[in-house]
Amino acid sequence: MKISAKQNNNSAGLLINHFILTMVLAGLLGAVFLASLFLGRLDIGLADLGRMWSAWGSSGTAGLEGDVNWLVLTSVRLPRCLLAVLVGMGLSVSGAVYQGLFRNPLVSPDILGVSAGCTLGAALGLIMPNFQFGLVRLLAFLFGLAAVSLALWLARLIAVRSVIVLVLAGLVVTAVFNSMLMLIKYLADPYSQLPAIVFWIMGSFHRAHWRDLNVAAPVICGGLAVIHFLRYKLNVLSLGDLQARSLGLNPLAWRVMFVTVSSLIVALSVSTCGQVYWVGLVIPHIARTLVGPNHERMIPVTALIGGLFLLLADDLARSLTTSELPLSVITALSGAPIFAYLLYRNRGSGWT
Amino acid sequence: MSLVCSSLSFQYGRDRVVDDVSFQVEKSTFCAVLGRNGSGKTTLLHCLAGILRPAPGRVELEGLDLSRASRIEIARRVSLVPQEHTDIFPFQVIDVVVMGRTPFLSPGGRPGPDDYDRAWDALTTLQAGYLGERNFNKISGGERRIALLARALLQSRDTVLLDEPTTHLDFHNTYRLLGRIKNLCKARSIRAVAAMHDPNLAFLFADQVVMLKDGRLLAEGPPEKVMTAKGVSQLYGTETRLEELPDGQRLFLPAFLQGRGKEGGESS
Repeated sequence: MKISAKQNNNSAGLLINHFILTMVLAGLLGAVFLASLFLGRLDIGLADLGRMWSAWGSSGTAGLEGDVNWLVLTSVRLPRCLLAVLVGMGLSVSGAVYQGLFRNPLVSPDILGVSAGCTLGAALGLIMPNFQFGLVRLLAFLFGLAAVSLALWLARLIAVRSVIVLVLAGLVVTAVFNSMLMLIKYLADPYSQLPAIVFWIMGSFHRAHWRDLNVAAPVICGGLAVIHFLRYKLNVLSLGDLQARSLGLNPLAWRVMFVTVSSLIVALSVSTCGQVYWVGLVIPHIARTLVGPNHERMIPVTALIGGLFLLLADDLARSLTTSELPLSVITALSGAPIFAYLLYRNRGSGWT
Repeated sequence: MSLVCSSLSFQYGRDRVVDDVSFQVEKSTFCAVLGRNGSGKTTLLHCLAGILRPAPGRVELEGLDLSRASRIEIARRVSLVPQEHTDIFPFQVIDVVVMGRTPFLSPGGRPGPDDYDRAWDALTTLQAGYLGERNFNKISGGERRIALLARALLQSRDTVLLDEPTTHLDFHNTYRLLGRIKNLCKARSIRAVAAMHDPNLAFLFADQVVMLKDGRLLAEGPPEKVMTAKGVSQLYGTETRLEELPDGQRLFLPAFLQGRGKEGGESS
């Protein structure tokens, strides 16, 4: 009993540490978010803020209508930063869910082919005559789901519950979808359609608009809330089907639920800002290194770090050079070395 | 108060793995299931755990028909210590043990301090409290078995199924683990059903033995009665010699070892 009491104290200490870490991350995210609003080509200083404040005070938003600073702040930077945080959270949490479900720290939404499917769907939508963004999103979502179901079905067909087969099945599906994408790019109009497709593939928030947020925010937030609420089940599912079943869960039903919610999040992210590489793979690993693999603690930390990471990446993308850099260039360039470092740090702990 | 298994059969595709097996296990009983490799031991355990649905035949646990019960209802009464545990994320042992509370949680529920207290209790009952904060992937195979047994005890106070509980255990730990399981059966009136490979261990620890051959029930009953030289020979398809030790313990040895001393080997 003595030992047990002492160990309970230790886990209470762990909980307090975890709480502090979460608060620090949330504070950091808030601070970076505010700073990001004032970062960009147009310099908005404190004096401008004061002027806008007094204009708002005297005649409400009507007094700000012609103000360039106000326009840039609320119509360009605010939606852009919000979208970056949401997509970062969505992609990294989806990655964590995939890794838990498939019991493989190498699985990310990219590897199972969701992103490839989404991109193909979006590209198809973009080459349609007089395309609409609603249709592009719908196609991206449907193709993303089709890709991941195809990969799962293939893996199931070849072998039951084999991790390596799942990754290979994802590779096959990705290859097929990518080759179809290549065909579309080849056939697309090189002056109008091709650049639009390339924009999707490299990822960028520079066209972020409140319109996008109105669609993406409810779905991504809703999906994140569902995953957050049900996250303990990921612990049990990560033990594999046999043990999940003997612990009273129906693994297939839970897996379908989690894959559907994650695919929805990824599909919407890709259709609003294109493919963002590495976020879904690296961020869950950072979170796991910080707070351990227990999804109870790890999912919220993953979301916070993911939001922070993509917000910073987008800040770099729009301020490093005079023209915008593609987002994936930044995330892959910074994510890959981080991942290499984590591999080195966690060597021998049995998670690779 | 018993686990009743009546004319239970199961087939994978056309392959009938378990064929018309009937027996029953009372409370506080340690029941060993013996048989050759591929004789249907694991399949039988999975049917008892409600993971596989037998057809035809049925499993009843104290009046509850498992084929009609929900997965959660079954999980609250029957727990399983699986044969092998593939590597997972580097969970702390206590996080793995506390998962035994899963069938008692709501869909969005997470284990609370009370559940963790119970998990620590389950570990300390097995004198394994020291494992609690260690990395599940880095403890030995024997320690993993203990941790999974603690999880199984946390999950159900009724029936614990063990699939080859002593594989990967060393000489001393084998006897210690089986001794603990036997004590738990008596002290907490738990029913344990274990698939085992070694007839000598089964004879030492089990209160009841179920002998499976090619999916069929060869014999069933108390070990003193069914574990004869003839019975065991038939079970494993090899001539077996029985040595009666002075304290009543029986020792089964393959007959081809006879007279070979230490040089004994496979005879053809």
